[in-house]
Amino acid sequence: MILIALELLVRLFYLGKDNPVRFVDPYQVEKWVPNQEGYSVTGNRRQNFSKYHINQSGYNSYREFTPSKDKLELALVGDSFIEGFHQPYYNSIGKKIEHRLPNLEVYEYGYAGYDLADQLHLIQQYQSTFDMIDYVVLGLKFENDLTRGTYKVISSRIQLESPIYRLVQQSKLLVYAQNIGALAPFWTLAGKISSLVNPSPPPTNLTKKESSIDERHQQYLANFKELVKTYGFDKNRFVFLMDLEITPPFFIDYLKEHQFKFMDVSGTLKASKTPTTLIYDRHWNDHGRSLVAELIANYYKNQLP
Amino acid sequence: MVFNSLEFFIFLPVVFFLYWFVFKKHLQSQNILLLISSYVFYGLWDWRFLSLILLSTMVDYVVAIKIHAGDSQPKRKLWLWVSILFNVGLLGFFKYFNFFVDSWVDMVSLFGYTMKSTWTLSVILPVGISFYTFQTMSYSFDVYYKKLKPTNDFLSFAAFVSFFPQLVAGPIERASNLLSQILHKRTFNYEQAAGGVKLILWGLFKKVVIADSLGPIVDDIFSNYSTYPASTLILGVTLFSFQVYGDFSGYSDIAIGTAKLFGIELMSNFKFPNFSRNVAEYWQRWHVSLSTWFRHYVYIPLGGSRVSKLKSVRNICIIFLVSGFWHGANWTFIFWGGFHALAFIPVFLMGRNTIYKDSVVGENTVFPTITEIGQVLLTFALVTFSRIFFRSESITDAFGFISRIVSNFKYETYHHPMGYRMIDYYVLIALFVFYEYLIRKDERSPFKFNSKVVRFVLYVLIILGMLLFYDDSIDRSFIYFQF
Repeated sequence: MILIALELLVRLFYLGKDNPVRFVDPYQVEKWVPNQEGYSVTGNRRQNFSKYHINQSGYNSYREFTPSKDKLELALVGDSFIEGFHQPYYNSIGKKIEHRLPNLEVYEYGYAGYDLADQLHLIQQYQSTFDMIDYVVLGLKFENDLTRGTYKVISSRIQLESPIYRLVQQSKLLVYAQNIGALAPFWTLAGKISSLVNPSPPPTNLTKKESSIDERHQQYLANFKELVKTYGFDKNRFVFLMDLEITPPFFIDYLKEHQFKFMDVSGTLKASKTPTTLIYDRHWNDHGRSLVAELIANYYKNQLP
Repeated sequence: MVFNSLEFFIFLPVVFFLYWFVFKKHLQSQNILLLISSYVFYGLWDWRFLSLILLSTMVDYVVAIKIHAGDSQPKRKLWLWVSILFNVGLLGFFKYFNFFVDSWVDMVSLFGYTMKSTWTLSVILPVGISFYTFQTMSYSFDVYYKKLKPTNDFLSFAAFVSFFPQLVAGPIERASNLLSQILHKRTFNYEQAAGGVKLILWGLFKKVVIADSLGPIVDDIFSNYSTYPASTLILGVTLFSFQVYGDFSGYSDIAIGTAKLFGIELMSNFKFPNFSRNVAEYWQRWHVSLSTWFRHYVYIPLGGSRVSKLKSVRNICIIFLVSGFWHGANWTFIFWGGFHALAFIPVFLMGRNTIYKDSVVGENTVFPTITEIGQVLLTFALVTFSRIFFRSESITDAFGFISRIVSNFKYETYHHPMGYRMIDYYVLIALFVFYEYLIRKDERSPFKFNSKVVRFVLYVLIILGMLLFYDDSIDRSFIYFQF
């Protein structure tokens, strides 16, 4: 009875977030099932509450993606920062850019967890669409987005759509408890028990060597080259959106040397006197998104016809 | 293992099941299970210090038998001193050794000599040592004062010393209460067990919602007191009052509730101290088991209040200074104790130290009188002020904090260090105080309402409150573990 009452209260006050359904399309691109709506909730006490809207292309956006040769379009491709479940979909970075550059349509191809392999695979698979888009900005975090050199559907994310997981998600109380970390001790304990039952082998010299920062960074650079080579990269239209403060200098040098274009968000965000991220996580808040939108708009302001 | 961990909520039902379904037939088997469970409970924190508990148990077990068998008063006294010296020696070594060395070095430096404190040791403070040493000593005292006969049942005595619900942070039980229950077979009582679960729920609420959620604010204000105005500092120490109350009384409620599940009644440790009308009443309501211990084993043997006024005042000072020192090896606690002595003495001299002993604020009325409100607010303000010493890292910080309140007396809006809405916490505290006022007459029945519907709504709201304020990123350890 108590659990039922709690479930009702969590629903009544909308404390638990909605989880849109994801799928892998015929082109092996992972995205959201089109035409879904719901609310994304962050924090125990609904500190952040925003509506999302998945459009017909399978991405969270206030507009449909209808590129043509007659219009000017900009595609933002990236992870959860572009996806923007932490913001009302009608007040996204794309919308803010359009507000600053009225003649431009902005298409947000954001999806939580998208790395460079996901992004370039998407662009390659939807080449005809992207060929009509005039400018493409790709979000890139060196440490996160270059861990692989070839694209493959990430099965762990798709497993989140398993019938059991979906069934569990029917309980908003469970979803809420999971989101606020109240279930974390259970997972930690399960992990401890699991490691007791199946102890992992002690690290060998080889794995230690592999994890050294230099070697890892060299591997990321090799992955970058491999991805660009495999899926193609239009240096005229494609620009990286990066935080240079967390990017190794050698990679920045490499990009410069090989004429890859990029814009840096670190200076803009760092210079802000008011917080640019949400309370509960590191995603940009409304002010942060405005600053990023301004940065992108300024970058393209003089390039638009 | 701590009460607010998943491990405990797996451990507790397992022990409960074994206790009432497997080991229920004989007293001996019940006590053996309690003993093993208690050692597992403590050993999961640090098994090495189990030897200290065992040693303390053995010493007082033998000492009590020797006291009882003593054919002369000097012999009996000698054995009592063995217990005192052993237990105080344990405390002295593990808790106070470095303090004494450092204080000696500081004192010598006042006279112009320089010494390096090379004698200090890196000793870990064993959790609960201040509690179980006092408990075992109480047994020897009770046998010495012939209030109790020593037991020959070592296992039961060991179960009494290490009884896991109150092993690490009390209530500090007197042997006459707890040991006598442990020496009798317990039978399952549904009402008692249900009451235990309710107390556990209420204790968890106080810990998770009140104490843990205020922790980051208090930490921020005390760590950065030199940058904040008086309004923020007053807010910080006021919230600390609620934090430490929620933390410690929450722990005590969980301990008492857990003991009830095993058919054992522990003494009340907190009786709504925030509604005290003077400092004397406060000490009849705050950490009752410790103040009872000091009253029985220190204050009364010193003559209590049956001696001249001057000697009584001396006794009061001793009690409060020792009580302060018991909390920790830091001058801050001694100042804290001293402040309480200074606040207590006028009440004592006016003969008002026991006038509220058997009543509660708003005893026969729904609302308190204006006078009572004034008394409660004044007492709360005094006690809260003393907590500046209790919470500060050093005596310099404490005086720096006070000096900042005086020198920078202005108001500024305070913002939560993690950016949360402060209004949530103000509303929370207001509701908490209001609810405690409603239940102020019975600290052992936090949900004593006739209507099942009201009780059900309360259970739901309590659990919802815990979810609304749960934060897995903060330090959730109990404050009194450090003592």
